[in-house]
Amino acid sequence: MIGQSPSRINDAELIRAAQKGDRAAFEQLVRQYDQAVLRLALQLTGTEQDARDIYQDAFLKAYRNIGNFRFECSFYTWIYRIVTNLCLDHLRRKQVRKEDAPVAFDEHGQEYSIIDQVSDNRPGASPERDLMRRELGARIAKALTKLTPRERMVFEMKHYQGLKLRTIGEALNTTEETAKNTLFRATQKLRAALADMR
Amino acid sequence: MNCDWVRENIALYLYNELADDARHELEQHAARCGHCAAELAEMRRFQEQMSLRPMLEVTPNLLAASRMQLQEALESTEQVRGWQSLFFDPWAWLRQARFSPALAAVIFIAGFGGGIGATYRAMMNHIPSNIVQEQHQEASISGIRNIITKPGGKEVQIELEKTLPEQVQGSIDDPNIQNLLMLAARSNINSGVRMDSVDLLKQKPDDGRIRESLIFSLRYDSNPGVRLKALEALNGYVKQDIRVRNAVLEALLNDNNPGVRTGAIKALEQVRADSSVRQALQELAKEDPNEFIRTESKRVLASCPEID
Repeated sequence: MIGQSPSRINDAELIRAAQKGDRAAFEQLVRQYDQAVLRLALQLTGTEQDARDIYQDAFLKAYRNIGNFRFECSFYTWIYRIVTNLCLDHLRRKQVRKEDAPVAFDEHGQEYSIIDQVSDNRPGASPERDLMRRELGARIAKALTKLTPRERMVFEMKHYQGLKLRTIGEALNTTEETAKNTLFRATQKLRAALADMR
Repeated sequence: MNCDWVRENIALYLYNELADDARHELEQHAARCGHCAAELAEMRRFQEQMSLRPMLEVTPNLLAASRMQLQEALESTEQVRGWQSLFFDPWAWLRQARFSPALAAVIFIAGFGGGIGATYRAMMNHIPSNIVQEQHQEASISGIRNIITKPGGKEVQIELEKTLPEQVQGSIDDPNIQNLLMLAARSNINSGVRMDSVDLLKQKPDDGRIRESLIFSLRYDSNPGVRLKALEALNGYVKQDIRVRNAVLEALLNDNNPGVRTGAIKALEQVRADSSVRQALQELAKEDPNEFIRTESKRVLASCPEID
C-alpha cells in the first residue's frame, strides 16, 4: 500500500480483527495510543480520577462502535476525536457546574491543590524558583479558564501535546484553518489574561 | 507581507505551522521591522511562560490501573451491530443515502415516539397529578425499526424510534422524584448531576432505599466529591446501621482519595465498641503510606475507650 506507513497497515489489520470481535486485537490497538490519551485527559482535567474516567469512556466507546470505523481517517484521528469530545464535555460541565475538586489533606489537615505539589526536579531547580513556578502555574491555570472549551482544547493540544493543527482540526471535526484561527484567539486571550495579572 | 499578516501568523510561526516560504518571509520582515520583532520576542516570552506550567505526568501506576480497569470493563461490553450502530451515528445512513439513488429519490418517513427505558417508562406511567411534566425539546432518533420499499422501488417507508427529553417537577418527599434521583445518583455520566442527586437524597437518609443508594455512591462513585457528599449524608447512621459502618470502613481502607479516607476516620470516631474498626485503625496507624492518615488513626485509637 503505497503512501501508508507500516504502523497504519498494522492498525488496519488490528481494526479489522477488532471489528470481528477480537478483543485482544482491540487491546493491542489501545496500547499504541492509550498513553497519549491519558496524558491529554490528565492535563485537561487535572485529576487522575477524571483522567481515568475519560480514558475508560473513550476506549469503551471506541470498542462498542469500532464497527462504524470505515477507514476514512486513521485510527489515531478517530480515537482523538472521541477523546476530544469527552474532554470538551468535561470542560463544559466544569463551566456550568462548579464541581468539587478532589481534596487532599496535608499533615495538619489543611486542604491543598494537587497541582501545587508537582515539584520541579530539574537540575538547577531551587525552592525560590519552585515557588515562583507554582505561582506562575496558578496564574496560568486562571488564565486558561478565560478560554472557551474549544479554545482550551486547541491550545492544550498544540502547546502541551505538540499535535499538528491539521490533526487538531480533524479531532475537533473542523478544518485546519478553523483550528488556526482558534489557536490565534486562544493565544491572544491568554496573553491578555497574563498581562492583567502582573 | 505586511505587519498585520505577521501579527496574525506569529503564533503559527513559533508553533512550526507555517509553510517554508511563509516562514522565510516572516523572518525577513521581522529582521527589518522593529514593531514585529518586538511582537515576536513578546510571543516567544509568552510561549516560554506557558511552558513553565507544571505538567502532570502519567505514572506507571496510573497507566496500569487504567488498563486494568478497561480490561475488566471490556469483558462485559458488547459491540454495537447492524442498525444499532445508527444510535452512535444516526446520520450515517443519510450519508449512505447520498450514494443510493433509490433511497435518495423519495423518502417517506413514519415515526412514532418511544420511551427511554423500561424503568423510567414504568415510573412515568405512575406520575401523580401533582408532578408537573413539561416537554420542551424535539425528539431525536434512537433507532430504525423497519424499512419497507414501496412498489416501483423509488419510495421507501422507514419506521423509526425517537427519544423525547422530558422534565418533571415535584417534591423531594414524592417517591417518584426520589426514584429519579436515585437513578441519577447511580447511573448518570455527569458527575455534577450525580452530586446534585446525592445532595438532595441527603435530606432523606432515614429511608432505607435512599440509604442503600447513598452507600452505593460511597462505595462505587468514580468522583471523590460525590463520595464525600454520600459520606456526609451517612454520617448519622454509622452507629445504628451496620451496612453503613461497613461501607465507611471500606472507604477508610480502600478509597484512593485522602479526603474521603479522612472523612471516614471522623465518621468512625463515634463507634466505640466495634473491634473491626479498632483493628483497621491499628493497621493504618502502623502501615498507611499517608502520614496524615497514620496520625489521625493514632489519635482516634488513643481517644477511644477499650471494647465494651
